[in-house]
Amino acid sequence: MALLEVDKVTKRFGGLVAVNNVSFSVAAGEILGIIGPNGAGKTTLFSVISGFAPPSDGNVRFDGQDIVGVSPDRLVRRGLIRSFQIVQTFADMTTLDVVTTAALTRRPIREAIDYAAHVMARVGMAGKERLTPATLSLQDKKLLELAKCLATDPRCILLDEVMAGLTMAETEAPMAVVRELNSQGVTIVMVEHVMPVIMRLATRIVVINFGEKIAEATPEDIVKDQRVIDAYFGEHLDA
Amino acid sequence: MRPEFYKTLLSPFWLILLVLAVVLPPLLPSYYLHIIILTLVYVALASAWNIVGGMAGQISLAHSLFIGVGAMFSTALLLKLGINMWLGLVISAVISGVLGAIIAWIDFRFRLGHLSFVLITLAFAEMGAVVVEGWDFLGGASGLLLPRDTGNFLQFQFGGGIGAFWAMLVLAVAAILINVAILNAPLGYYLRTIRDNENAARAIGVNVLRYKIAAMVISAMLSSVIGTAYVRYLTFADPYLLISPVIVIEIVLFATVGGLGSAFGPALGAILLVPLGEILRGKLGGVLPGLHYFIYGVVVIAVILITPSGLLPLLEKWWARLRGTAPARK
Repeated sequence: MALLEVDKVTKRFGGLVAVNNVSFSVAAGEILGIIGPNGAGKTTLFSVISGFAPPSDGNVRFDGQDIVGVSPDRLVRRGLIRSFQIVQTFADMTTLDVVTTAALTRRPIREAIDYAAHVMARVGMAGKERLTPATLSLQDKKLLELAKCLATDPRCILLDEVMAGLTMAETEAPMAVVRELNSQGVTIVMVEHVMPVIMRLATRIVVINFGEKIAEATPEDIVKDQRVIDAYFGEHLDA
Repeated sequence: MRPEFYKTLLSPFWLILLVLAVVLPPLLPSYYLHIIILTLVYVALASAWNIVGGMAGQISLAHSLFIGVGAMFSTALLLKLGINMWLGLVISAVISGVLGAIIAWIDFRFRLGHLSFVLITLAFAEMGAVVVEGWDFLGGASGLLLPRDTGNFLQFQFGGGIGAFWAMLVLAVAAILINVAILNAPLGYYLRTIRDNENAARAIGVNVLRYKIAAMVISAMLSSVIGTAYVRYLTFADPYLLISPVIVIEIVLFATVGGLGSAFGPALGAILLVPLGEILRGKLGGVLPGLHYFIYGVVVIAVILITPSGLLPLLEKWWARLRGTAPARK
């Protein structure tokens, strides 16, 4: 059964159509990749699904229920959470405090603190509990985004470019976490520019260009798709 | 509740405070006792304000409204309707809580930025002042005079002097402990994430509206109760003192100088600045008019320039260095 269904979603900003009539569904336990050139509308799509921006048109269903108009914090409590491409920092809190706040979604405070420390160790941030997020390296900031999501015990995570800006070696840790999470039954939707990552992780890929879905297939088939190649490398000009 | 809360609760600090509170006041001339009582009032007020201004990071100037409701309304209820001041205290606190909730809701609903929030709360404070001055029930511009304090506890009388000292001490300690409790409870975590990054707080499941209202209601009700106790000590309910924006500016100043957001910072600011202001005025007020204000201003500016995050973080850093340990968790 589909856990997340995006049904003909359109998002307009004034005259600009950022997302145009996009539909896809994600089965429970799946890893769906969303790719597309810069400015294709991927992050806007995430904002719509996660309740930060209402769609101009269309529907989003999570676990069979309509979630358009439901606030982001309620969605988190229902088990749907997103990470941010632009890492969100907290000026005056330690990383452990931030992850603890996320863990408070489902746990009493003492348990939340222990669980937050456990989650941080799991994503490879052990020993960095007392730093402030702003002082972290880019890699650690990305791991913190992941830790925040994990700490809420989600059923479905929307990951917005958690690997962007990392070297291939640095992507190993977050990739292992994503795989492990998925093996425990967490559904994952990831927007990613780093193609080797998405090719290795995703079971299915949706391609978006200029706000529209232009292809949907397995990773093996998607690289052969002429529309995808055109979108990324430009169309052939027959002189 | 985090275990740190019980650790703070069982700290020997409270025992030392208790011994001082028993031994010291009878030995002091009434002028110094007055300064101590005044200091405790501001310790309580700054700590109450800190829940909204420090933890949630919202510079509210509406607190004179809550203090004013607590002071003027409970007084009016007693004088005009004969309602016991304990009951008046509760009624005023509930009204303040409702007003606080309305302000928090407006802030959320219209997504006010920091500056808009300051201005809206200032407008509320000014409206409160206008209402009090224009409404005879609340004493109008001339204020209200409470009956003499005969020490009848059931009539919310503490006997002035040492009795008032104990009443204020209890309120000040309660206000600080409420701060400690919030910081060690989920609410403290929620408020700090909201302060640092409201959208990111929503993204990790924090119900921003609910906790902003919670902070404002707790802070408003506490301020109102302190207002009622303060007016009982003053005996005269003076609208120009109790419901003027000046009182909030002082509170914001004390809290900022002491250290926003921490449980003891605002109290520290009040403990240093209230006696300083009073003593400067007492010693220098007659020498050259305005001199005491000038010196006071210089001290405040110096503290803010030296340690923008307040005195408490600076002291914590010194203390940590003294003991040769790494700075404790902020």
